[in-house]
Amino acid sequence: MASNSTLVVSNAAQLGSARTRRDFLRIMGIGGTLVLLPSVLSSCSNNNNGIVDPGTGAGPGTGSTVTIDFSKGDIAVLQFAYALEQLEADFYTKVVAASSNLTAEERLVMADLKNHEIIHREFLKIALGTNASFSLTPTYPGVDFSNRTSVLATARTFEDLGVSAYNGAAQYLTSTANLLVAGKIVSVEGRHASAIRDLINPKSVDFAPSPFDDAFSPAKVAGAAQGFIVDKLAFANAPTAFVQGPNANG
Amino acid sequence: MENQTVLETIDPEIADRIVARSDEISQGASISAPLAAALALGSVPIALAALSKDVGAQSASDVVDVLQFALLLEYLEAEFYIKGTDAAGLIPAADRNIFLTLRGHEVTHYQTLRTLISAKGATPITKPTFDFTAKGAVPNPFAAGNYAVFQQLAMAFEDTGVRAYKGQAGRLINDKAILTAALTIHSVEARHASVIRRLRGKKGWIVGNSREDLPAFTQGIYDGEQNTVHSGTDAAALGTNNGGVNAVTEAFDEPLTKEQVTAIITPFLA
Repeated sequence: MASNSTLVVSNAAQLGSARTRRDFLRIMGIGGTLVLLPSVLSSCSNNNNGIVDPGTGAGPGTGSTVTIDFSKGDIAVLQFAYALEQLEADFYTKVVAASSNLTAEERLVMADLKNHEIIHREFLKIALGTNASFSLTPTYPGVDFSNRTSVLATARTFEDLGVSAYNGAAQYLTSTANLLVAGKIVSVEGRHASAIRDLINPKSVDFAPSPFDDAFSPAKVAGAAQGFIVDKLAFANAPTAFVQGPNANG
Repeated sequence: MENQTVLETIDPEIADRIVARSDEISQGASISAPLAAALALGSVPIALAALSKDVGAQSASDVVDVLQFALLLEYLEAEFYIKGTDAAGLIPAADRNIFLTLRGHEVTHYQTLRTLISAKGATPITKPTFDFTAKGAVPNPFAAGNYAVFQQLAMAFEDTGVRAYKGQAGRLINDKAILTAALTIHSVEARHASVIRRLRGKKGWIVGNSREDLPAFTQGIYDGEQNTVHSGTDAAALGTNNGGVNAVTEAFDEPLTKEQVTAIITPFLA
């Protein structure tokens, strides 16, 4: 561990270890940094030792490459959002379908989140038209869908990441119409994040851990999301400039 | 341009934006020379063309105007939570974590906005005097025993804040630092709204245009939230097998214009 808020993963097997998974969820939960050293991806492309997901048999980043080309401008930003919404929608679909020790109240929240994320995904699919031609295969190393604690911790990771992703990518939008749509979605993700955090630790200060949410660069978001995607997420013509938000951690 | 067309092929909102912009112009906002010339010539098509270009090129004074407007809202929220958390016998011990967090955040927001405004070379507006009974529409929310009223107003203010920031984002599109700062406040206001709503036994998200159990005079906070058409694409049918049209309205928060927000908060200005 480089520091309390940075997790350095140097080989693929580490991604699948219980210790690292706990650290990953904890660190993403506090807005920390996940560093994937090049050795991770190289080992992923050669084999999937140690990161076999029981559901699909394929680990993160072992599949075909999905490239988002930022020379497409606003389309690329919306494609990136589409990728994240695919991930969230699939996650909550599995959560709702699984038997688990979630409470009845928690199941109602999960059912709403499933609906919202599917609607986001399908909306972006329509909006993107022929630019929505990719379909990602999610994977959930270490996530136990029967276990309330594991499900809620993963949900918190996804919702916080979604908020940070939209907040950070908005600066690359050139159309006010697209910016408005992103704004309509990101606040609902913020409502989700708050609800999940309050389910985990009711009536605590956790629902909003900072006066400012994070704004993460697309590269930082992709690094975190890759841990849940079999396909290899890649960028072409990625923006080199990134304007930080108040937390200056993007 | 391809990157301008993805969601703009049909854009019913552009008319609203142009109207909002022309309202500002009639109220004395600065306009570009080509637009002034077009208006002087009385040519609507030319003026519209110039205006649409203005929409995408907001001035520095426009950014300051957004920040001042946000500052007013944050003053309102901060004073509300300061008075609430300072009031004896109002907030049950178990709920104090939430309201102390809200207080701290809103104070940080207004302090940050003041700094940003000063950095733009402008003078932050001074805090107005607030009337949290909305001129008698509700009982004193800080009086012992009136916790229910206090919670109702908290929900009203937070749901308003989310919509207010969202409605101003487009005016910040050319100032990436301010845009990003505003967005990171915007989503925190959404977290606030969600926790208050859930504390009150409601869903964390807005269903249709429902104000839930809030008094009728707050309906303006929720009007328009039932919209399902976003940038020309109607999402209503996506609710089929996915929670129906209610879920579609929950999945998208809607903006409010500055004028709409002003109408909502005016009763709270003494």
